[in-house]
Amino acid sequence: MNMFFQSIMAGLETGSLYALAALGLVLIFRTSDVINFAQGEMAMFSAFIAFKLFDGMKLPYPLAFLGAIVFAILFGFIVERVFIRPASKASLVSKMIITLGLIMIVGGLANALFGIDSHYFRKAIVADNMNIKGVVIQPNAIFIIAITFFIMAGLFYMINKTKMGIAIRATAQDENTAKMMGIPVSKVYSMSWIIATILGAIAGILIAPTTNVSTAMMGEVHLKSFIAAVLGGFGSFYGPVVGGLIIGVLDNLVGMYISLTWKTVIVYGLLILTLIIKPTGIFGKTHRKKV
Amino acid sequence: MNILKNKPIQYILLGLIIAITPFIFNFQRGTLTMFNTVIIYSIVAIGFNILLGYAGQISLGHAAFMGLGAYISGYLTNMGIPFILSILIAGVIPMIIGLILGLVALRLEGHYLAIATLGFGVTIQQIFKEWTSFTNGYSGMRGQPASIFGFSFRSRESFFVLAIVILVLLSIFAYNLLKSKTGRALIAMRDSEHAAQAMGISLLKYKLIAFSISAFYAGIAGSLYIHLIRFIEPNQWGVELSLNLLAMVVIGGLASIEGSIIGAFFLTVIPDILKEIPMLGEIRNLSTILTGVSLILVIMFLPLGIARINIQIKEKLNNKNTKKTALNQ
Repeated sequence: MNMFFQSIMAGLETGSLYALAALGLVLIFRTSDVINFAQGEMAMFSAFIAFKLFDGMKLPYPLAFLGAIVFAILFGFIVERVFIRPASKASLVSKMIITLGLIMIVGGLANALFGIDSHYFRKAIVADNMNIKGVVIQPNAIFIIAITFFIMAGLFYMINKTKMGIAIRATAQDENTAKMMGIPVSKVYSMSWIIATILGAIAGILIAPTTNVSTAMMGEVHLKSFIAAVLGGFGSFYGPVVGGLIIGVLDNLVGMYISLTWKTVIVYGLLILTLIIKPTGIFGKTHRKKV
Repeated sequence: MNILKNKPIQYILLGLIIAITPFIFNFQRGTLTMFNTVIIYSIVAIGFNILLGYAGQISLGHAAFMGLGAYISGYLTNMGIPFILSILIAGVIPMIIGLILGLVALRLEGHYLAIATLGFGVTIQQIFKEWTSFTNGYSGMRGQPASIFGFSFRSRESFFVLAIVILVLLSIFAYNLLKSKTGRALIAMRDSEHAAQAMGISLLKYKLIAFSISAFYAGIAGSLYIHLIRFIEPNQWGVELSLNLLAMVVIGGLASIEGSIIGAFFLTVIPDILKEIPMLGEIRNLSTILTGVSLILVIMFLPLGIARINIQIKEKLNNKNTKKTALNQ
């Protein structure tokens, strides 16, 4: 039974990181109708910046973390301005292909600048493990889950209560009407890309102690965050959070009780199954396409 | 001279000319290997173009089909089954799996299809890694040289001829298919699924056709690959290759057979040339960055790719002229 709780705990830890990354994906999708396939690579780049600030420039950890977030703000802004906005009139597939090209550019740049080695990056919280009735709990895991929920609470507050949030939701619903209501739609696009890049960066930095910092570090997280978004549905903002936690826990339970080597295959099988049975996800509404 | 205007005859003649060049000029073995891989990637790119350019369905998992073809063909020839038979099986099994993916595609479109195929590609790659009794896992699989009726295509020159013959055959097949009722149905489906359905085009049938044919092409190319390089390992068949295939088709020219070949040529040869340039060659992954940049530039400014660059420039100039005259009036 202890093992069961142990793997649920570990699942919640990674699951909340998937949820963060998935939330970024959904935010961009809802506002600008693009699925950002380069989210993982962008997060990896930001994590590398944090690592370089911490390890190369010997900044204290919180400062390095902040530095990476400042970088992510700039990064998200530039990517939206340079690559996405000029193509706002292009077809869906074209926009998708642009973000696929971004994978190559960002990944290639990271390889050229930072090399192909993988580096160890410290945990956010280094303290002794807690032992509650035989279940070992790392303070870092608690920290990750807490910070994720904190960020999500902030984000949901922003989306539901603030003016910016209303503008984001309005743009997500209907761009033209939003424009007519005087919402600065292009600002909303910038904003959603910036927030999504920050979310990715945080996920990248927090996952770094388990995956190490390398150019391939986000591959798994990125794909899992896609599955989380699909499972929860791209239609709502809380869907991906639930999806992320489910994927995290399920991943660990399958690895624990069924098979460690086939765990990836089983989890992807689940993705394809969800897509076939309910493509809009658990919380998604069926949406009719107009001719 | 009318006979020269016939596309299949053009393909055959061009193929003949290219196939004999290695016998006239003396290329290094490395250069010839590169030309051979250009031909192999051309085959996958044509198949992928039928899917993306003509049928308008995106796939980010096509590397898996190519890998599957390579492993099947390698495994069968290692067991002593003749090359001709194994290359056919290496095409047919991915084709059947492509049918399944086509069924999935029937329910999904756009983003969801891209995510599903991405997941599919990763799953198959994972299977390559774990199913060691079939693929030999990370240690990689060794392949035999291709041989037909006792003649072994061991030298790069003879393999080049074999690859070109297969490329020409598959190009002619693709050309005829796309000029037929099927091709027109695929294009109609790409432009509007609803309108196509209203015209009595079965989406089920044509999505299945598009996926299975492109998987068949990828499988055949994979089979050729293992008999050329004679070594494969699971990491080759990942997302990077799928993205490269997509870049080949988009940069070369969507919905164009020649474009697929041009794209395959550019994406295989240019990285090799870049490596030779002194200062630039030092930068790691420069070719990946440039591929990404050119993919985005092509999508933004030349949506029809390099193959039809002249038409697009002419169109842009014409548009400018009409605008000017409109202003003058």
